[in-house]
Amino acid sequence: MSSGNGTNGPKGAGGGDIDPILLSVFARAFKSITDEMSISVEQTARSPILCEAKDFVTGLYDGEGRMLEQTENLPILAFSLAPVCKYIIEYFEGDFKPGDVIFHNDVFSMGNQNNDVAVFRPVFFEDKLVAWTAVKGHQADIGGNVAGGYNPNATEVWQEGIRIPPVKVYDGGVFRKDVWDLIFANIRFDIVQEDMRSQMGATNVGARRMVAILEKYGLDVFDRHKLALFDATRKMMEAEIGSIPNGEYSGEGYVYYDGKNKGSKYTIRVDITVEDKKIKFDYSRTDGRTNGFVNGTYTSSASATALTLLQMVNPDIPHNEGMLSPLEIIIPEGTILNAGYPAATTFGNHLCPPNADAIQRALAPAIPDRVTAGWNNLLSSLTTGFDEEKDDSYVDIFFMGMKGGAGAMNGTDGYDHIGMIDASGGVLDQDYEMFEQQTPHRLIKHEYLEDSAGPGQWRGGIGIETIYEIGSENTQLVCFGDGDFEPAFGLFGGGDGTLNTLTLTKPDGEKVVPLNKDLITGVPKGTIYYQTAGGGGGYGDPKKRDRKRLKEEVRNGIISEKAAREQYGLEE
Amino acid sequence: MSIKIGIDVGGTFTDFLVTRDDADPTIFKTLSTPGDPSIGLVNGLTDIAKAQGKSLEEFAPTIETIVHGTTVTTNATLTRNGAKTGLITTEGVRDALEMRRGIREEQYNNRYTNVPPLVPRYLRAPVKERLDRKGRELEPLDIGDVKAAIDLFKSEAVEAVAICFMNSFANGEHERTAAELVAKEMPDAYLTASSDLLPSIRFYNRLSTTVLNSYNGPKLRAYIDALQARLKDIGFKGVLLIMQSNGGVVLPETAKETAAMTLLSGPAAGPIAGLGYAEAHGQRNCLTVDMGGTSFDAAMVLDGEPIVANEGEINRYRIALPMLDIVTIGAGGGSIGWIDEGGLLRMGPQSAGADPGPVCYGQGGELPACTDADLVLGYLSPGYFAGGRLKLDLEGARKAIDEKIAKPLGMTIEEAALGMYRVINTNMAQGVREVTIKRGFDPREFPMVVAGGAGPNHACMIGLELEIPLMIVPRESSIFCAAGMLMSDLKHDYVRSWVGRIEDIDWDKLQRIIGEMKGEGDASLDAESIPQAKRQYVLRLDCRYAKQYHEVAFEAPLQAVADRDAAAIKALFHAEHNRLYGYSLEEQGTPVEIINVRLQAVGITEKPAYAVESYAGTDPSPALKGEREIIVPETGEKKSVPVYDGHSTRFGYQIEGPAIIEQENTSILVTASYDCVCDQYGSFAVYQKGREELVNPILEAKAS
Repeated sequence: MSSGNGTNGPKGAGGGDIDPILLSVFARAFKSITDEMSISVEQTARSPILCEAKDFVTGLYDGEGRMLEQTENLPILAFSLAPVCKYIIEYFEGDFKPGDVIFHNDVFSMGNQNNDVAVFRPVFFEDKLVAWTAVKGHQADIGGNVAGGYNPNATEVWQEGIRIPPVKVYDGGVFRKDVWDLIFANIRFDIVQEDMRSQMGATNVGARRMVAILEKYGLDVFDRHKLALFDATRKMMEAEIGSIPNGEYSGEGYVYYDGKNKGSKYTIRVDITVEDKKIKFDYSRTDGRTNGFVNGTYTSSASATALTLLQMVNPDIPHNEGMLSPLEIIIPEGTILNAGYPAATTFGNHLCPPNADAIQRALAPAIPDRVTAGWNNLLSSLTTGFDEEKDDSYVDIFFMGMKGGAGAMNGTDGYDHIGMIDASGGVLDQDYEMFEQQTPHRLIKHEYLEDSAGPGQWRGGIGIETIYEIGSENTQLVCFGDGDFEPAFGLFGGGDGTLNTLTLTKPDGEKVVPLNKDLITGVPKGTIYYQTAGGGGGYGDPKKRDRKRLKEEVRNGIISEKAAREQYGLEE
Repeated sequence: MSIKIGIDVGGTFTDFLVTRDDADPTIFKTLSTPGDPSIGLVNGLTDIAKAQGKSLEEFAPTIETIVHGTTVTTNATLTRNGAKTGLITTEGVRDALEMRRGIREEQYNNRYTNVPPLVPRYLRAPVKERLDRKGRELEPLDIGDVKAAIDLFKSEAVEAVAICFMNSFANGEHERTAAELVAKEMPDAYLTASSDLLPSIRFYNRLSTTVLNSYNGPKLRAYIDALQARLKDIGFKGVLLIMQSNGGVVLPETAKETAAMTLLSGPAAGPIAGLGYAEAHGQRNCLTVDMGGTSFDAAMVLDGEPIVANEGEINRYRIALPMLDIVTIGAGGGSIGWIDEGGLLRMGPQSAGADPGPVCYGQGGELPACTDADLVLGYLSPGYFAGGRLKLDLEGARKAIDEKIAKPLGMTIEEAALGMYRVINTNMAQGVREVTIKRGFDPREFPMVVAGGAGPNHACMIGLELEIPLMIVPRESSIFCAAGMLMSDLKHDYVRSWVGRIEDIDWDKLQRIIGEMKGEGDASLDAESIPQAKRQYVLRLDCRYAKQYHEVAFEAPLQAVADRDAAAIKALFHAEHNRLYGYSLEEQGTPVEIINVRLQAVGITEKPAYAVESYAGTDPSPALKGEREIIVPETGEKKSVPVYDGHSTRFGYQIEGPAIIEQENTSILVTASYDCVCDQYGSFAVYQKGREELVNPILEAKAS
C-alpha cells in the first residue's frame, strides 16, 4: 500500500513511503515490547521495591539512543533512562558488540539516584547496531553507610553507595566475572545480584522481540517509520504546547530542612518560556545545593519536570523521542536540583513535589484549566526491628501512611489518598493484614481525615490519618520527607490542604516529634505512632461547590458541618 | 430423548444450544430482554418448542437440564445498579473499601477519578472489636455498636449487609455473632460475612469481595427466583444449573448465596467450550478468542484445564474469588475508527454498540466501525448478515470511512478500511499476547479456537501476526458460550488461610481444615444428587518462600497430605516456582510458607455427545454458493474469491484460501496464508498453507 497525498497524514522525515497503518502497528509493537520487559521484571524480581512498588522503568531506544518507547511504572522515572543511553554510546565511542551487557548507576554521568541501577543491551541486526533495550530498577541496597541507601547524614556520594559508571559485565557475550564480583563485593544483599539478573533477562526479552520485528519488516522500513513516528508524536506534543499562550512564566517551590540545619529553607525557581511549539524550563535562579543529601541530579530533576508537564497534556501521547524534542530543560550545576560532583543526592527524587509546585504556580495564569493546585508532599517513615513472636527481623517502609491528596483542577476534584506526585498513585498501601503478618505492629486507624482537603469549587484530594502501635523493642525509625511546614497550596480562590504531621507517644507518655529527615533509635514496644498525610489544595471559590456533592460529603464525614458553613458557605 | 439446553444471555442476543440424544445440536437466538432477562429466555424456549412442532407446555417437561449463564450481576456492577448495601467493619478501617489501597490506574491523567464505592461512607458502620494476626481476641465485639449499625441500616432501608472484620480469616467468631444479630433484626436483608464467603488473608481483597457479594445478591436472588417461577409455570421439571466465574456450574440455591461467583458467568464458558472442541482434535491445550460487538475475550486452556486466577477486578473493584483468567479488551464489530492528534489511525475502545450500531446497520450510526470496514472489504455479505434479517448499507459504510478515515489520511476507501481492519487485529493480537506471553507461554504452540459473531472474520490475521498455525472455528462459534455451558462440571471452591511453614506443619490441623472444606463440598454435591463415583476433590496450596510477598498456587495430591510427605509437597512448589519465574530456592534450603489451603469439590456432569459426520470427500463444490470480490488482507489486492455455504459443508471438504465461508450468524474469512478442512464434528480447521500435517489426524478419522 502506498501513501496518498493527504494533508494531515504523517510523512517520513527521510523521504520514501510511509504506510500510516504500519506506523500504528509499530507504535503498538514498541509499547508491547517495553510492557513485556516490565512484566518480566515484575514476575522475576525479589525485592518488594521492584515487584510490589514497581520502582523500575523499561525502555527501547534506536541505535543512536533515541527513545522509541518506555514503560515507566512510576512517573518519576519518565526521563531517567534516555539520557543514560546517549551517554553510554558516547562513553564507549561506538565500541559495541552483540552480546554486550552494560551496567550503570552513576549520578554524575546522567544517573538519577544511586540505588537506581540500569542494564543496557545493544541490539544488532544484519551486523548493525540498530537498537537498545534497557531496564533501570531501584535496588534493595547499593553499599554506602546505611543499608538500603537512605543515609540522612551523607555529605558525599561515597557515603551513599558504590558508583558504577558505564561498565560491561558481558563483553561480546563473555561474562566478566571480575567486574561482576567487584560490583557485588560492595553491595550488602545477595538479592541485588538476582534482581540485576532479572533486569538483564528482561533486556533480552525485549531484544528478541525487536529483532523479530526487523526480520519481518526490514531495517529500511523500520528506520523510515521510526522517524515518522517521532514526527507524529512531536506534532502531538507541539500541538499541546502550541495551545499554551506564548510568554514567560515564573514560579517557586520550597524545600524545608536539609537534614543538617534546623529551620533551613531552599527555593526552587523556574522560568518557563513558551514560544509557539517549544517550551523551555530554566532553573538558573534556583538556590544552591545543600551540604547534606537533600539534592537532586540533573536527570532526577528533569524527570520531575517532564512528568509534571506530561500530566498537563493528552495522556495518550506515546513516550518517545518526539515527545521530548519540543522540551528544553536548563538546570545549572551547583543548584539544589543539580548538585554536581561529589554531592550526596539520594533525596533527589523527593524534590519532585516542590519542583512540580513551582511549575504549577508558574503555568496557572497561562493554562488555568490544565494545572492542578498543590499536591500533598511526601512524609515517609521506615521501621526496622525484631519480631519476637516470629523470631525474625523485619523492615517496613510505611507506604500507607504517607499518601495524602492530589491537587484539584478546574472540573475535577483532587484524587483522594493518592500520595506524592512523583508516583501519582503508582505506590500502593500495604494490605492491613499483610502488614500485621510481616511486622509485629498493630494497625489502629487508617482513615480519611475530615476537613483535610483544601476547600474549593473543586476540592483537593482527601488526606488521611494513620495510627499504629509499634510491636518491637528497640525499634529504629528513619524519617524522610517534607510537607510539615507548608501545606499543599490552593489555586484561584481554593484553599490550602492540611499539613503532614508525625508524633510518637512512648508508653511512659513521652511525646517525640521527629524532624522530617531524621533517624530515631531505641523506640520501645507499645509506642503509638501517629501520622497525618495532608489533603491536596483546592481550586476555585468553595462557595461555588456543587451543593448536592457538598451535602453528601458532610453526610459522609469528609467535610464537617462547621467547615461546610464557614468555608463553603452552606446554609441550612 | 434427553434434551439439554445451554443458555447464554448477552447484551443483544440470548443464545441457545439444544442437544438431544437423537438429533444434531441446534442453535437458536432471540433478542435479549434486559429489563427481565427471563422473558427473553422463555421466548427462546417457545421458539425451540415451535421448531419441534410442539407447544411450550408440551416441550418444557421434556427438558432434562438447563445450564444458564447470566450477566445480571455483571451489569449491576458495571452500571452500579446493585442493592443499597451497608457495611459493618472494624473501627479504624472503614475507608479501605473506597481507598482501594490508594491506586490511580492512569498516572498521567489528572482527570481520572476514583471509582465510586459500592457502599457510601455513611453506610460503612465501624464497630469496636479486634483480633490479632493469629485470630486471638484483643478486644471483644461491642454488641451495642452492631445494634447501632442495624438501626442505621433499617432507617436507611438498606437491602443488603456485608460484614468484614480485621483478621477474621483466622477466626470468624466475631463476624458470626454480628451476622446472627443482623439476620435476626433484618431477616429480609441479603447478608454476607467475609469469613463465610472467603476466609482468606488480605483484608482489602476479602472486604471488596464480600461487599460485591452483598451488593449483587438481591438482584441475582430476585432474578433466579423469577426464572425458577417462570420455568415452573411452563412445566419445566428438570435441573436448572447456573454458570459461575470459575468455569463450574451450581444449583440455583447455591448461586443465590454466592452472587459474586457469577460476575463472569457468561464468558467463563468460553474456555470450557474451547477445550471441548480442542479435545475433539486430541489437543489438551488451546487458546480461545471470542470477538463480539464491543469486546474481545481471550483465554487459555492448559493441559485440559482453563487457567484460573485467584483474584482480579471488575470495573476496578477487586474480587478475590477463583475465576477463569480471561483478558478482555475493547475490540469488537462495533469498535469505532478514529484519527488521533498525531495523525495515527486508532480503533476503539469506543464502540457503536448495538444502538445505533455501525453505520451499515442503517440505524443512525455515523462513525465508521469495524463492521463497516469488514463490509467494505467484502468480508461480509450486504444481503446475508444475520441470515439476511439485517440488510447492510454498503454505501453508507463507504461514505463514513471515506470522510472520517480515508480523506484525512489521504487514502482510498479500501486502503482506509484495510487499515482499520489491520489496526484492530493488532489490538486483539496484543490481547492474546497478554494471556500467553505474560504468563510465559508461546502462543504458536496452541491451537486457537475462534468464537463470536465477528471472530471468524478476523482470526486469520490475528493468527498470522502471532504465527499461530492452526485455528478451529466451531460451527456453533456464534453461540460458543452456550455450548460451553453444556460441557461444564459442577464446581465448588473453598479456601482457608493458614500461615505456617511446611517444615513444621501441624498435619492434624491441615487434615482437619481439608476435612472441613470437603464436608462443605459433600453437602453441596449431596444437594446436587451427584453420586460418589462422580465426585472429585482437588487440593491447591498457595505457598511462597519465607519473606516473599506473592504466593504461587499449585496443585498438591491429597495423598501427599495423608502420607504427611512434606518433601513431596515442597518439590511441587519448587517446580512450579521454577516454571513461572525461572528459578527455585530448593538448593538454598529457604523455608516454604503456606498461606492458603484451597479445595475444589467437583461433580462430573454428563457431556453431550456430538454426532460424527461421515466422510464426504475433499471437493467443496457442493457447498459453493458464488463468488465475491474482496480485498485480500495480506496484499491489499482486489480479488474475486469463492463463497461457501457453511451449513452445507461436510466432513473432508478442503477449502483453499482466500475464501469465505458464510453461516447464518457468522462468516469465516480464510485469508491467502491459510487453508481450511471441515472436520467430522462440523467445525472448520483453518491451518497455515503447507502445514497439512496439522490436520492429518482429522482426515485420518475418515477411515473409522
